[in-house]
Amino acid sequence: MVVAARRAGAAAAILETNNDITERQRREQEIRTLNEELEKRTAELEAINKELEAFAYSISHDLRAPLRHMAGFTQLLKKNAASLLNEKSQRYVTMILESTQRMGNLIDDLLAFSRIGRTETNKTMVSLDQLVEEALTEVRQDAGGRNIVWRVAGLPAWYGDRSMLRLALVNLISNAVKFTRTRSPAEIEIGCMKQEPDQVVVFIRDNGVGFDMKYVNKLFGVFQRLHPTEAFEGTGIGLATVQRIAHRHGGKAWAEGLVDKGATFYFSLSKSPESNL
Amino acid sequence: MSALGRILLVEDDPKDIELIITTLEEYNLANEVVVTSDGEEALDYLYRRGNFATRSNGNPAVLLLDLKLPKVDGLEVLQQIKSDEKLRLIPVVVLTSSHEERDMVASYRLGVNAYVVKPVDFFEFVNAIKKLGVFWAIINEPPPGSIKAT
Repeated sequence: MVVAARRAGAAAAILETNNDITERQRREQEIRTLNEELEKRTAELEAINKELEAFAYSISHDLRAPLRHMAGFTQLLKKNAASLLNEKSQRYVTMILESTQRMGNLIDDLLAFSRIGRTETNKTMVSLDQLVEEALTEVRQDAGGRNIVWRVAGLPAWYGDRSMLRLALVNLISNAVKFTRTRSPAEIEIGCMKQEPDQVVVFIRDNGVGFDMKYVNKLFGVFQRLHPTEAFEGTGIGLATVQRIAHRHGGKAWAEGLVDKGATFYFSLSKSPESNL
Repeated sequence: MSALGRILLVEDDPKDIELIITTLEEYNLANEVVVTSDGEEALDYLYRRGNFATRSNGNPAVLLLDLKLPKVDGLEVLQQIKSDEKLRLIPVVVLTSSHEERDMVASYRLGVNAYVVKPVDFFEFVNAIKKLGVFWAIINEPPPGSIKAT
């Protein structure tokens, strides 16, 4: 803003009386000033970002010890005092344990999320097909006995961080499994929508409970949930993690859905070297 | 059952100490545990000085070492052990809350024998402690000069 104002003031006087070279020099100077400002702002933002990451990490890390103690001693109490406690008190003990477990999951997910922002990406050529296979193996263990029809189309090999992409797929596929819990058969489709030389779009579609498009912007926020925990467990960090992974690959994540008519989640990955942000 | 090896537990948090000892007791692995609550005391034990000047000869069969410790921290203790000809054969297991990759890399660089992150979940925690106890105090054959119950 300051720069613009200065430009306005200087230009009125100089333009009339000077030749092109002076004008060019003046513009060059202006661009230099703007670039310097921009570099300064970028450095500031980077520093703030790093600080935030460190803060999130140390909170997550230091919360683990007391939580471990709470869970540990409550578990011991349950074991040692079970015969002394009436039914109501035993239920209290169980609720404490459930809450410590939930907090543990929150901390772990927050840690994983924070780590994706902090660690360098390690990009190689990755077979997305194979990653989907691995993710399916992992997720299927939790879906034991459910009637799920899987449709998996061929996916290309792509340049990216293997463990991050795997995490994104696990999060999206386990979401699809979770939110189709009320369906039999559940139908889950995994495929590649668009493949261009420098961009690929992967999608995961399900016939589950879906969501209201009105809230689509909330889906990818940290700790945002559109369903009560009692109906569908979860910490609300999974999709934020997917979004961040897509960003780190020069892409983005988005979703389409209808209440009771299923949802489709997309993420794009770019191949450009600038995607290392 | 083979003889129980001496475990030197280096841990500053009394609650962690109690949880670890309780777990080891449950599996009859606690008889040979010595606890020191900071890095300096751990080194005093190993060098038989200070409070431990009069202890009998021999090295522990394993060190369970926390990283965040008062005075001398875990990595310094590890470095001291691994750079001392008389101590460097003692197996050292880092037992920490830290998932921090640089802690793990630093520990391995210094020659740590195992790196274990304390699980938050109590059953996993008990399981990890039990396995560590059974492996390092019973199954593993420690280097010559280690203390074992007879």
